Amino acid sequence: MIANQLALIRREIWEHRSVYVTPIAIAVIVTLVSVAGMVTVSAFDRELELAIFGASSIAGDAERRAALTVFFFGTSWVFLLALAILISFYALDSLYAERKDKSILFWRSLPVTDAETVLSKLLMAIVVIPLLTVVAIVATHLVNLLISSVWLVLKGGDAGHLIWGSVPLFDNWTAALIFTLAGAVWMSPFIGWFLLVSAYAKRSPMLLAIMPLAVIPLIEWIFFRSAVFAELVFGRGGMLPLFRGLDLERYFDEDRMRMDEGAVSLLAHLDIAGFLGSPSLWAGLLACGLFTTGAVFLRRYRGEV
Amino acid sequence: MDKLVTARNVSKRFGDLRAVDGVSFEIEKGRIMGLIGPNGAGKTTLLKAILGLTDCDGELSVMGLDPFRQRRELMQNICFIADVAVLPRWIRVSQLLDFVGSVHPTFSRDKAEQMLARTKVAERRDAKVRELSKGMVAQLHLSIIAAIDAKLLVLDEPTLGLDIVFRKEFYANLLTDYFDEERTILVTTHQVEEIENIMTDVMFINEGRIILNRTMDSLSDDYVELLTSGERADKARNMGPIAERDVFGKKVMLFESVDRQSLSELGELHTPSVADLFVAKVKGVSA
Repeated sequence: MIANQLALIRREIWEHRSVYVTPIAIAVIVTLVSVAGMVTVSAFDRELELAIFGASSIAGDAERRAALTVFFFGTSWVFLLALAILISFYALDSLYAERKDKSILFWRSLPVTDAETVLSKLLMAIVVIPLLTVVAIVATHLVNLLISSVWLVLKGGDAGHLIWGSVPLFDNWTAALIFTLAGAVWMSPFIGWFLLVSAYAKRSPMLLAIMPLAVIPLIEWIFFRSAVFAELVFGRGGMLPLFRGLDLERYFDEDRMRMDEGAVSLLAHLDIAGFLGSPSLWAGLLACGLFTTGAVFLRRYRGEV
Repeated sequence: MDKLVTARNVSKRFGDLRAVDGVSFEIEKGRIMGLIGPNGAGKTTLLKAILGLTDCDGELSVMGLDPFRQRRELMQNICFIADVAVLPRWIRVSQLLDFVGSVHPTFSRDKAEQMLARTKVAERRDAKVRELSKGMVAQLHLSIIAAIDAKLLVLDEPTLGLDIVFRKEFYANLLTDYFDEERTILVTTHQVEEIENIMTDVMFINEGRIILNRTMDSLSDDYVELLTSGERADKARNMGPIAERDVFGKKVMLFESVDRQSLSELGELHTPSVADLFVAKVKGVSA
């Protein structure tokens, strides 16, 4: 059972190379941009000569830590945006492509159940693809810090203190890991819906998946003058109950920064208990489960390809 | 248990269409059964039912299992090639072998490698399936299937679209590398002549019904073809041939369960080809 799951997930990664190629490509771009930024800044401003991360103009440790956190946070968002697109495309393609090229006939000739196969695709979307992205985020941070360190040392700065001593690495990475996985789980009803459409669509699963999301709110508005569905669906991304009083502005406010020195922690803002206790999370998981079960049944019982 | 497949009154409807219409038959262990029928006769539907890919009415048992409800157990002991083009096009040869090896308990990687070593696929281990020729894909698929220690192999038009060299080779490999008395093959094809010499049993299906089901050995006992002309043809016609056709001005008549002694006085006797017998049977039904 678990051996099969591992084999199936490995197969998914072989088939959908974009799940690791995309994060790597973004990592390369982010790195190039930040190096270009460093070079540009030091060319124009001698005060900042020691490069962004070790800049001497940033006075205290807390500010430096905050600046680094904001930088990390900012670059991570690029990855997360790509992740959302990646997962959507993956899920929509996962049960459609094998029917389109008829390879489903081969897959189904092996002693693997339809439930196992669909489960592997769900795990890919909710766990594996997000994890690959987290790995890329961590690798990007490391490479960027290494480049900054080399730069700083060449300029005669103390990289050990100014960079490695100032970056809450563990805090940032753990927060990125939790946030990414929680986000994928939170958005799981969409993933389940995409899997269902992927198993059902005769053509253009994308169109079929999006159409109800546009039509249902319209019908609801015409007949009930309400927007419950639209809020549930389109508002869900913004309702992730994982943060507790996260206020990014404070990282830009010097006075407040000085006051709570040492408290620059993304992890401290994550409310895992609140997340796990949210009824909305479990309702979403239930919806995901129902959609996924539907996808299993379609693959299993629809006699035709 | 010598009966590998047992069907009793098996039917499958699609709306008003009876794709398979109350068929009953058995397939014994160690046989090569050819299932022959025109397009739309219900061959593929019947195979799908046997493979558990579709539900059906009636009683169908494959190796003692209900194929539709016990599919996973079934797939441990059954293999099938549904079509030549169904191997995923994006996968690499080596990945395919890795994957089958990791999910199939009775797959022998060594055996698959041995078979592949004799083909051109051997030099293209890192190639993707889409980069291989159609013939090479068929060889690859057969190598995988033959390396699985399955009791029943189901082949649905396995050589469709392949050239003659590959088709011959495919069946030759099938016999040498796969078949033995412990294994059973069920095969459908349009090209009856290419399996005529390898099958031990033959079943004709037309419009969802089985119109002939017997061993190849007994075919020549019951069916005979007469080559004759002129007056003798008229006499022969009175003996009730099931089919008649013209060949170079002579008449070829096909008889079922006829007195050979008296027939031999009317012309040359031959064992009919399965293709001719098939045409005669199908025409006889629709006439």
